[in-house]
Amino acid sequence: MEQQLAELTASVAALKASAGVTNTNFAETFYYLSIPLMIIIHAGFLAYEMGSSRSKNVLSSGVKNILAFAFVIPTFYFVGWWVYWGFPTGLTFSEGPMGISGWAYANSIAWGWGESAAYMGPNIEDQASGVFFGAFAMFAATTASIMSGAVIERIQTVGFIILAVVLGSFAWVVAAAWGWHADGWLVTQWGVHDFGAAGLVHAVAGFFALGVLMHLGPRIGKFNADGTANHIAGHNMPLTVVGLMLIIVGFWGFLMACVIVPGEAFSWFADKQATIYGTPITLSSLAFNILMAIAGGIIGAWIWTKDPFWMMSGALAGIISTASGLDIYYPALAFIIAVSAGMILKPAATWLENRGIDDAVGAVTVHGTIGLYGVVMLGIFGSGFPALAIENTSVLLARYGHVFLLGFVPGLYVAIILKKLGMLRVPATAEVAGLDTVKVPAQGYPEGIAPSGPASS
Amino acid sequence: MFPYDKADWSTVDGPMFMLAGTAWPGIFTAIAAVICVWVLVAGNRSEQAQYKKAEK
Repeated sequence: MEQQLAELTASVAALKASAGVTNTNFAETFYYLSIPLMIIIHAGFLAYEMGSSRSKNVLSSGVKNILAFAFVIPTFYFVGWWVYWGFPTGLTFSEGPMGISGWAYANSIAWGWGESAAYMGPNIEDQASGVFFGAFAMFAATTASIMSGAVIERIQTVGFIILAVVLGSFAWVVAAAWGWHADGWLVTQWGVHDFGAAGLVHAVAGFFALGVLMHLGPRIGKFNADGTANHIAGHNMPLTVVGLMLIIVGFWGFLMACVIVPGEAFSWFADKQATIYGTPITLSSLAFNILMAIAGGIIGAWIWTKDPFWMMSGALAGIISTASGLDIYYPALAFIIAVSAGMILKPAATWLENRGIDDAVGAVTVHGTIGLYGVVMLGIFGSGFPALAIENTSVLLARYGHVFLLGFVPGLYVAIILKKLGMLRVPATAEVAGLDTVKVPAQGYPEGIAPSGPASS
Repeated sequence: MFPYDKADWSTVDGPMFMLAGTAWPGIFTAIAAVICVWVLVAGNRSEQAQYKKAEK
C-alpha cells in the first residue's frame, strides 16, 4: 500500500512538472508568435506609406520606414526597456506596490551590462524576458511608425530617425510605464485602464506627430495662397489599402501581446488570462470586439466618404476607438463606438487640414484624435466598474492631458532642435525634384507607370 | 449581476462585459442592427444617385 502511494505521489509530481513545462512553453510561444504578427504591422506601414507617396518619393518613404524599424529596436534594447521598468512610479524612481519597478529593479534586469545582462540575453532559466522584450520592442516600433506616415515626402531621413527613436524608445515608454504597468502611478492612484493602448500608444504617437508637423510644415503645393488645401494623391491607392489591411492583421498580434497568460511566475492568475492591470480577459473577448470594431469603423467611414482609403483608415479607427476596453465592452457596443469613430474620422482630418496642418495620411486624426476619443469613451461607459472604480472627470482629464503632453511636447521640441540644426526638412529643390532621385540609388518604377483614367477600357 | 458591488475582479465567474445581466446588451445589439440597415438604405440611395448622374 505504502509503495503504491509513493508511486502515485511520484506520478502526480511528474505530471505536475510536465504540465508546468507545457504551460511555460505555451507562455513563451504565445509572446514569441506575437512578434512576427506585429512585424506584419510594419509591412502594412511600408505599403501604406509608399502607396500614399507620389511616385517620385516612393522609395525614400519606404527607406524611412525600414530605418525607423531598424533603429527603434536596438535603442529600445539600450534604453527603452529600462525606462519601462524604471519610470512607473514617476520621477521618484521608487519601487511600486507590486515590487516590479523603480530605479533599482530596472537596474537589475534591464541594462545590457553588468549583472542585469543575464536577463538581456539567452538564459536557460529565463523563458520570459526575451519574448516580453520582443513584444515591447514591436510596440515601440509600431508607435514610431505611426508618426512616420504624417511626415512623408519632405522630412530628412536622419532627422526622422532621431524623432522615431525619441518617440519609440522614450516618449511612449514613459506613458506605458505610467499607465500600462501594474506599478504605474496612473494605474495605482487613478485607476487608469487602457487595455489596448488607445491613449498610451496611439494618442501619444498621434500628438507627437502633430508637434513635429507644426515645425515641419506642409508639402510644397499642399496649400494655396488663400490657405485652401489641395489634395495630393498618392501614386498607388491599391498598395495603400492593402497596407492598411496588413496593419489590421498585425493588430491581432499587438493586442494578443497585451494579454498576460496564466500559470507562470509573472502571471496574475493560475487559471485565467489577465490584462496588464491584473483584470481577467479572454481571447474570445478580443475576437468578439476587434472584429465588431473593424466592421463598425469601415461602415462608419463609408457613410460619409465612400473612399477606400478612409474606409480602411476607419477600420483602424474602429479598433483604436475601442482598444482601451476591448476586454470589457459588449461587442454590439464596440460596434456602435467604432461606427461613430469611423464617422468622425474624415471631418476631424479636414478640420486639422483647415488649420494648415499637412498630415499626409491622417495619422494625427486616426491615432491621436481617435485614440483620445477611445480613452474618453471608456471613461464614460466604464465609469464605476471594477478596476475603473475611481474613474471620474478629473481622471479623464488627467488621462487626456498626459497622453497629449507626453506625445506633443517631445515631438514639438525635438522638431525645433532638428530644425535649428538643419536636419528636419529637405531643401525645396530636392522636394520638387523628388527624393528618390536625390537620395535613393534605386528606382521604384524603372519602366514607368501606365496612366489610368476614365478613358481607358 | 456584473459589475458586482465589490470592486474585485476575483469574484467574476461569468459574463464580464459592461452592463451584463441588464437589458443594455440587447439594446446595443438592436441599435447596431438598425445602423447596418440604415447604412445600407442610405448607401443604396447614394449609389443609385451616382448611376443616374453618370447616365446624364
